[in-house]
Amino acid sequence: MNAIILSAIFGVVLMMASAFVSNRSLYKTIALACLVLLVGANIAETLGYSFFTIDTHNMLAFNKMGLFFNTICFTATLLYVFISSSEIERVDNYTAEYFALIFFSLCGIAILTSFNNLLMMFLGIEIMSIPLYILTGSDKRNLKSNEAALKYFLMGSFSTGILLLGIAFIYGATGSFGLESIKVGTLQMQLSILEVTGCILLLIAFAFKVSAAPFHFWTPDVYDGAPSVFTSFMASIIKVAGFYAFVKLFESRIETTSFATNPAVGVNWHLLFAILIIATLFVGNITAVFQQSVKRMLAYSSIAQAGFMLFALFSVNAFSKEGLYLYAAGYCLATIGIFAVLVRMKDYTFEGFNGLAKHEPTLAFATTVCLLSLAGIPLTVGFFAKYFMLAAVVKQGYAWLAIVGVLFAGVSIYYYFRVIAAMYFKSADENPAAVATSSTVKIGLAVVVAGIIILGVWPHALLNFLYF
Amino acid sequence: MPIHSLLDATVVNTANNYFPIGVQLLFAAGFVATMLIMSALLGPKRKTSDKLANFESGIEITGNARQPMAIKYFLVAILFVLFDVEVIFFYPYAVNFRELGWAGFGAVAMFVGFFIVGFTYIIKKGALIWED
Repeated sequence: MNAIILSAIFGVVLMMASAFVSNRSLYKTIALACLVLLVGANIAETLGYSFFTIDTHNMLAFNKMGLFFNTICFTATLLYVFISSSEIERVDNYTAEYFALIFFSLCGIAILTSFNNLLMMFLGIEIMSIPLYILTGSDKRNLKSNEAALKYFLMGSFSTGILLLGIAFIYGATGSFGLESIKVGTLQMQLSILEVTGCILLLIAFAFKVSAAPFHFWTPDVYDGAPSVFTSFMASIIKVAGFYAFVKLFESRIETTSFATNPAVGVNWHLLFAILIIATLFVGNITAVFQQSVKRMLAYSSIAQAGFMLFALFSVNAFSKEGLYLYAAGYCLATIGIFAVLVRMKDYTFEGFNGLAKHEPTLAFATTVCLLSLAGIPLTVGFFAKYFMLAAVVKQGYAWLAIVGVLFAGVSIYYYFRVIAAMYFKSADENPAAVATSSTVKIGLAVVVAGIIILGVWPHALLNFLYF
Repeated sequence: MPIHSLLDATVVNTANNYFPIGVQLLFAAGFVATMLIMSALLGPKRKTSDKLANFESGIEITGNARQPMAIKYFLVAILFVLFDVEVIFFYPYAVNFRELGWAGFGAVAMFVGFFIVGFTYIIKKGALIWED
């Protein structure tokens, strides 16, 4: 509850700051201070100090797992704002509003980690996405940004329609918006085809939100068109939050609607998820190979990474749960790091990275570590994230799916290493970076690199918090 | 024992029950089609340029409707909607003023508080300054 209420209030605080504080350089300080308070308040609630006692009629349920996920997301946002606040200031005149929108998005995330009711899930998704539509179009004079915003908005509202239809079907079948299917009276209610239909519609809507193939078409255009700083936020924090909600929603229903428990109308979820995973991995990885722009390549790579995160949905067990947290942290760190470098480049193509190691060794090193983590090379957190996901699948008895995952991870090494090769083995006369690297960015990137390596050597530094 | 209405409904809903609705749908579509065809066949036809023009309450049309309009109208429209919603909430509150007591007053005060915050923001941002 702390996180939901405070993030909304902090959003309003920043709006008010834009109206009453004329010193524009103060905004990022206020935003950072608010984020620190938000992380603090969330940790306080994890430890049992809730500042607000509100009867939510069981529509929201706060547990340690969700609150810990909040902490990961908020800390990642803190790091993100710390690294890229000067870039956010450069987008347009509405710096404080951008921060406010980020806070409102965080409010949606806090709802998504605690919903206990399909309606709250819907609200959470909308509160999280609507600020993003605005942030995507925030570069108002850029046609691409406008196109991306409109595309994102139309596609997003369309998928929201599917989501609502799914919720309506489930309500029709079970008479409840509850997260788990309820039993009417003393009789065990028979599984209705309507509930199954509803679940599949929810699957489609969520696959859309987390950009899993074949519902990924908006992703490259939106990620490419949006201002790079905001792409960073969308591709990292928002994405993993979407996955958390996805898994949270389905882990309670997979059992009751599955083919195994209900041969008449049940779904073969494993088959459905396997198709989704393989399609996502295939589309993401293979298309990323052919990209000329690093930003677009990262958009496709985020689809590919979504394929790996979908493994958490495939195998709901302790391993995959841990894997999801590790993946969330590792993927956020790496994406924030690489985008922090990308926004500094003059040219977003692969050639644009030529000779970066010579002119800006710090940036090049940080990029390398982030890319290695995305590719899943050992000693980085990306390795353990992928390891936990694959181990969870093997534990469920689907080793062949793990092999498919490893093969596609191998493909991903190709396009990640193209950037590294451009930075280290090709030379350029002038500095490929457009802006000088400030010490803030260097500190931020150092934190990112340290985080990636520490979690890569000792993943239980993060996972132990799950069992407090 | 609570019995679920939708489950009941599945018992009575057979294809036969929908037969009258089907007949009505057919009749409605047939009626519309017949009327359209009949009026086209039987009615007198006078083709003049006036009949092809858009109806503008009897006033002659001037210019194109698709003109860029100042965004300020939009802001005022949005503000109007906001105040409209506020008033809609006030009516039921006014009716139940006594029963809801202080708790209700607190809730409404919070609602108005949120409202004022947003309104202050928009005023401060110069939404109602019309001259550039």
